[in-house]
Amino acid sequence: MDVTDISTITPAELISLEEPPATKDGAIEFLLDLAVDAGRVEDREVALEALLEREEEATTGVGFGIGIPHAKTDAVTKPTVAFARSTEGIDFDAMDDKPARLLFMILVPAEGGEDHLQILSALSRSLMHEDVRENLLEAESKETVQDILSEVVA
Amino acid sequence: MERIVTVVPEDGLHARPASKFVETANEYDADVQLGRADSDDLAPAASMLAVTGLGVSAGEDVRLVADGDDAEAVLDALEDILSTPEAEH
Repeated sequence: MDVTDISTITPAELISLEEPPATKDGAIEFLLDLAVDAGRVEDREVALEALLEREEEATTGVGFGIGIPHAKTDAVTKPTVAFARSTEGIDFDAMDDKPARLLFMILVPAEGGEDHLQILSALSRSLMHEDVRENLLEAESKETVQDILSEVVA
Repeated sequence: MERIVTVVPEDGLHARPASKFVETANEYDADVQLGRADSDDLAPAASMLAVTGLGVSAGEDVRLVADGDDAEAVLDALEDILSTPEAEH
């Protein structure tokens, strides 16, 4: 599978411009439900457990107002990235104490090898640019978010 | 001051090892950068986002560059993290 094809890993239904719950766990479930509702997750509980286990190990609040919960799990059959954003920001236990406003959830199949790390590092690299973060925060449509993301992983 | 270190933890510079690495880089009075040993690109070691962005896997060599009063001490501490299998942390 080509992990650089954004229309496959993040179709519009995996993008939400609605306000997620204000807690970290609530926001993770909100992102997961985008993927569940899009029919991309075979077992919601298994996926949730994998995501929370990863958070337990070390937070995915990477600073700069970004949270990237992620997991490798048999609960999905193809690489899946969901996006949401928070106006107030969510406490993601980031080292810089900045609340997370841009949220990305990455789920890849357990046998997906390094796919998830490849997506994670591509996302992280582009989110180091302030203009990319600003554009995502200001995007007024899912299509705009998709356009920005497609440049991210290109 | 710089040093080349092979990344040992199974997950690479990711998850808990990455978190420990960034925390440690922040604890010392030194400016630390890192990059792949075969590349001139360096990223700030004190930023989790930057370290995640490098996406370094187990077995890769990284270059650590430190500048400041604690340069040697921070390089020792970071080398220790990168050279220790995850299970021993």
